[in-house]
Amino acid sequence: MTHAESLPAWAAILVSLLLLLGAGLGLVGAIGLLRLRNFYERIHAPTLGTTLGIGSILLASMLFFTVLQSRPVLHEVLIAVFMVLTTPVTLMLLARAALYRDRREGSAEVPRSTTGEG
Amino acid sequence: MSDSLLLLSLVALPFLGALAASLLATHARNAAAYLAGGVALAGLALVWTAYPTISQGGVLRAEFAWVPQLGLNFVLRMDGLAWLFAGMVTGIGALVVVYARYYMSTEDPVPRFFAFLLAFMGAMCGLVLSGNLIQLAFFWEMTSLFSFLLIGYWHHTQAARDGARIALTVTATGGLCLFAGLLLIGHIVGSHDLDVVLASGDAIRNHPLYLPALVLVLLGALTKSAQFPFHFWLPHAMAAPTPVSAYLHSATLVKVGLFLMVRLWPVMAGTDAWFWIVGTAGLITLLVGAYVAIFQHDLKGLLAYSTISHLGLITLLLGLNSHLALVAAIFHILNHATFKASLFMAAGIIDHESGTRDIRRLSGLNRTMPFTGRLALVAAAAMAGVPLLNGFISKEMFFEEALSADGLLVLPLVAMLASAFSVTYSLRFIHGTFFGPDPQDLPRQPHEPPAWMRFPVEILVLGCIFVGVLPAATVGPFLDLAARSVLGEATPYYSLAVWHGVNLPLVMSMIALGGGVVLYMALQKHLRSGIEGPPLIRRLEGRRIFERALVFLSWRLARRLEGVLGTRRLQQQLRMVLLLALAAGGFAAWHRGVGPGNLVPQGVDPVIALVWVVGAACALGAAWQAKFHRFAAIMLLGGAGLVVCITFVWFSAPDLALTQLLVEVVTTVLLVLGLRWLPKRMDKPGATGVEVVTISRRLRDLAIAIAAGLGMAALAFAVMTRTPPDLLAQHFLARAYTEGGGTNVVNVILVDFRAFDTLGEIFVLGAVALTVFALLRRFRPAPESVEVPEQQRDQSARDAERPDRRDGDTVADWLLVPSVLTRLLFPVICILAVHLLLRGHDQPGGGFAAGLVASIAIILQYMIGGAAWTEEKLRVLPLRWMGTGLLLAGGVGLASLFFGMPFLTTYFAYADLPWIGRVPTASALLFDIGVFALVVGATVLMLIALAHQSVRGHRAERRAETAPRALVPGED
Repeated sequence: MTHAESLPAWAAILVSLLLLLGAGLGLVGAIGLLRLRNFYERIHAPTLGTTLGIGSILLASMLFFTVLQSRPVLHEVLIAVFMVLTTPVTLMLLARAALYRDRREGSAEVPRSTTGEG
Repeated sequence: MSDSLLLLSLVALPFLGALAASLLATHARNAAAYLAGGVALAGLALVWTAYPTISQGGVLRAEFAWVPQLGLNFVLRMDGLAWLFAGMVTGIGALVVVYARYYMSTEDPVPRFFAFLLAFMGAMCGLVLSGNLIQLAFFWEMTSLFSFLLIGYWHHTQAARDGARIALTVTATGGLCLFAGLLLIGHIVGSHDLDVVLASGDAIRNHPLYLPALVLVLLGALTKSAQFPFHFWLPHAMAAPTPVSAYLHSATLVKVGLFLMVRLWPVMAGTDAWFWIVGTAGLITLLVGAYVAIFQHDLKGLLAYSTISHLGLITLLLGLNSHLALVAAIFHILNHATFKASLFMAAGIIDHESGTRDIRRLSGLNRTMPFTGRLALVAAAAMAGVPLLNGFISKEMFFEEALSADGLLVLPLVAMLASAFSVTYSLRFIHGTFFGPDPQDLPRQPHEPPAWMRFPVEILVLGCIFVGVLPAATVGPFLDLAARSVLGEATPYYSLAVWHGVNLPLVMSMIALGGGVVLYMALQKHLRSGIEGPPLIRRLEGRRIFERALVFLSWRLARRLEGVLGTRRLQQQLRMVLLLALAAGGFAAWHRGVGPGNLVPQGVDPVIALVWVVGAACALGAAWQAKFHRFAAIMLLGGAGLVVCITFVWFSAPDLALTQLLVEVVTTVLLVLGLRWLPKRMDKPGATGVEVVTISRRLRDLAIAIAAGLGMAALAFAVMTRTPPDLLAQHFLARAYTEGGGTNVVNVILVDFRAFDTLGEIFVLGAVALTVFALLRRFRPAPESVEVPEQQRDQSARDAERPDRRDGDTVADWLLVPSVLTRLLFPVICILAVHLLLRGHDQPGGGFAAGLVASIAIILQYMIGGAAWTEEKLRVLPLRWMGTGLLLAGGVGLASLFFGMPFLTTYFAYADLPWIGRVPTASALLFDIGVFALVVGATVLMLIALAHQSVRGHRAERRAETAPRALVPGED
């Protein structure tokens, strides 16, 4: 089924580009996670990978199998939906836990409160 | 009637009767009595049917295959001795049934009593008819077991429970010794068949193992027959209902030991060892039993010790190594059964009609119960050995044997002394109870019992008189049959007659009679004073020694051994396990050698290698952080688990990968939830640094861990680098679809080929979940982790400050977005679970994975909403899930039996479903649903156990706050 060589050239190029884009975004996110200074900055870095990064890879997968099997293959949409639903949950839980602790300890890294209620 | 049918029904009928009686209604007293009486009479009739054959000197024999692979057959064999015993068991059994019908109270669950009695009768019949040593030991233990149930019948009284326990402990321990002894005999002879054993007496006696075999067999026989020093269980067994005592201690249980000694007499007796062990035990028991009996105030206690004494007499006769003594022993077994059964029944009547058995309170009953009094008088006279009664004749024979045992003057003297004692206690029984002034304030107004209650006593007493007057004409032929079946051609000449002329035994008898009367009169003052226990040997109480021994064995010794050998420290246990595994693996490798595998090495893909580097780093990091940063360690452990999951995907094992992923998720969550309750550990370097001892212990543990890990890796490597020529997987792959009806081989293996393993595993999983639940219910966390976490406290405090907010509002706001999203996902995850479950047989998935997915859905709700909120909305009853799962899985397996197929056979077919079309359906799906339900239940049960820990923590916190003020009603 995965006879990649039978893929037309235009599709192959497109798929490769999308894959590279996704992987590149993931890499950038990872480097960011390593290099950024504090938690609140770092928390933004992996979102590159979990949004556009994973999106490109899913697109690439859809394109690859659609062209290869000559029928629309849309399973990946489900993955995208679940990523969109679940990633915020993780990020919010992490961010709020960190925020609470830092405020309690009076850390200087806490972003300024805009509403006064946390 | 054929031999085999007769013998088999004689053994099986009582057991069937017991089964039927146990099914009767609790108060069906008459029905149970008729049933039991009918069975006993039928047994007696069967025994009588066998008489023509037996009387010709024949032996009935029936063999049934039992364990033919071991050459072991179920052999029933009836010769004269077995016939006599079977007659005694069924005959006296029938009388006891009649008696018990009137004795037992209407409030007692009488059918259960008769069920036990019949089962005991069956065990007795099986024992005396055994033609095989193993079978003999089996029925022997069975009699111990059923006598335990009978003695403990009134289990609401402490005395009955204690008596039953002591009897079982002593007789069953003896039974184990006997079993060992019989196995030894079987080893010596080379066969367990009784006929073969009985024919090889010389081989046994001359074998070097004779002495151990003898000691072991005698341990069994002497404990059962209550011989000194094992006699103490018998008086305590008097807590049983009197019919039980009348049956067990006259004709059956205690006679079993004597039966065995008579049975094996031709092959084991005749040596000095036999003489000294059996003779000494019998002699001491005879004397001590009779002496103690005099000073008993309880009628049944008196009879119990007199039973012990008479058993000692018979044992002594058996120990004399003389043929005539053996005949006398068999004769006395019969006589004792007759008069002792009637005396027990008479004592029971007295107890039943007057409300007490205490001789000190009873007196003058002759006026209110004259008929019973006469009957008891005759029976007691037989026990004392008064002429013209059966006890007299066997006692004459005993005296004669005691005199002829050469060179031992002590024997006739002791015999005479014990006989005088027996006269004294018989006198006490009769005189104390039936004569003297009218009794004062008895619990009940004494009167004659119902005629049918007295009937068995009348029959037995009649037997005493007939045998006493006309021994040769009544019991003569039967005794001859029994003696001949044991001794064969060697049966000596003996004469059963009342009058042998004036000879030494007669003189001894007269002296004993007179001495007994004098002794009774001399002891009057002492007996009236009502002091408990016999003089001189009051301190020597068997029971106390027994209890002390038991306490030592079961408590002190066990504790000490546990202290020496056991540990409660997890580290030491783990260390032991690892060292043992290392030793076992190392031994196997050293013993059999390790060679290279037969697979050709291939190049390593750099991608998977990189993934593995990450995994290894995670695993090492987890170990490194485990001491002070448990949370980080668990996260790293999860990373290692994900790497394993990726590996499975890489090597095309989607089922394993899926399961690994789900297990990883569930375990990580449960571990993190449990982490909260562990005591905190701070990485604070002490002033002195780490001690040398600690360092060396850590280094040692590190070495063990590394060795075990390397060993495991080496083992895995060795296994994975070789394939056997006939790989089992090939066989599964080839047959998964054709025979299992599924294309997912992994699932077909789990639910079909290896379904029995799966069944066992889900039972284990259920047990583990229950254990976790039980442990956590009694778990009290360390003081520092009891309090509510800081953040929760803050949030609750904020809610409490503002009147417009309820408790928990802040945290709900705080988690609003995550909780909405998680709740949205709940149905989606459930659909995924169903999807995995249904497609499992053909594609990756299955009950286990589906169950984990469903429990993840529930875990998420608990995590995000809290235990209280979730249980309000979604009540999961994990125990029902588990029960349903186990029943379903087991039931599907059992269902195949109805179709004549082996347990857990799968059926599959194609089903036409509306809208969906033809789908392959296998009964394995039902099994898989069972697995699913169990996994959901087990996982959720553990989750609930953890979740409720924190709920309890909150309650404790609130209680602590409110306690000083006032108790708020309704707060639990």
